[in-house]
Amino acid sequence: MATRRLLGAVARPLRFSNQPISSLPNFGTLTLRSKLVTFSQSPPSNTLNALAYTSIFRCFSSRTPDYSGSEDDDEEEEDDEGEVEDSCDEEDGSEAGPKLVAQGGKSEAEKLEEAASIGYKVIGPLTPSENPFKPYEPVFAVVQIGSHQFKVSNGDSIFAERLKYCEVNDKLILSKVLMLGSRTETIIGRPILPDAAVHAVVEEHALDAKVIIFKKKRRKNYRRTKGHRQVTHSPSFLQ
Amino acid sequence: MTRVKRGYTARRRRKKIRLFASTFIGAHSRLTRTTTQQRMRALISSHRDRSRKKRDFRRLWITRINAVTREDKLFYSYSLFIHNLYKRQLLLNRKILAQIALSNKNCFDIISNKIIN
Repeated sequence: MATRRLLGAVARPLRFSNQPISSLPNFGTLTLRSKLVTFSQSPPSNTLNALAYTSIFRCFSSRTPDYSGSEDDDEEEEDDEGEVEDSCDEEDGSEAGPKLVAQGGKSEAEKLEEAASIGYKVIGPLTPSENPFKPYEPVFAVVQIGSHQFKVSNGDSIFAERLKYCEVNDKLILSKVLMLGSRTETIIGRPILPDAAVHAVVEEHALDAKVIIFKKKRRKNYRRTKGHRQVTHSPSFLQ
Repeated sequence: MTRVKRGYTARRRRKKIRLFASTFIGAHSRLTRTTTQQRMRALISSHRDRSRKKRDFRRLWITRINAVTREDKLFYSYSLFIHNLYKRQLLLNRKILAQIALSNKNCFDIISNKIIN
């Protein structure tokens, strides 16, 4: 397996009014900045069909989230595997917490993106000339891709299983974020944080190193050799 | 039948095997027959241990979580911790994320406090 390369990336946790559970009590004075970015994308084709679908990212003005209340559980969790229908991410401002800068974008996904989000991702656009890598921030998020969980932070790259409907240089939004943390605060999703999103860019499709599967039964004249290479994607996490 | 010399076929096969076992110690990388045997043993071990690796790591994570959860409290343990996790629908913090317990200990403490209540 390969090593991790450090590129610029950010995890974007989003705070929504009564969803997540935060632990530290110093959130009374959060100042939020709002940022307006709208862009429409035409994500690349699905597996074989050239379906063109657009998802629009909208940004809303900032809200002050409630951190004082909401110790209760959220509504029932979604299913473990499967349909994350709309990746609704609301955009927040950034907090004035000591080391946390959080941003996000809201997307109204069309139904065609359901298929893409089975693996807990949403495809964004290709990035022709954007350089969205932010420098390192000491925030981490726990993200689930398929059935593997990763603890990622700004600028990590990761080897994941093959993700459908993805090509190189695709922006992904991983919508199944389980936890966010930084040096001063943690937000625990139950089981996921409904409005958090982590952005990633698919760096490469690769085959793993070859693995030789060798089976032998002794004294029984039985020997089998097989080789195997697993397909991996490696997304790297940006803002 | 016409006469067929065996030529280089066997040598090429054994060269591949020797390349595989080139870092083995002593006679295991030098003598052909020993080399082939050691190569077979190596491949068998790796095949078996690929499955074992998953088990081993899970054991390691469990021991680590156990150690961390027993630190501060009396009568608290890994089993209670996991039970509380599932009860609180924190369904998806897997054992690998008691690497959080290693790196961000305070986050782990926060999780466990939230879970207990």
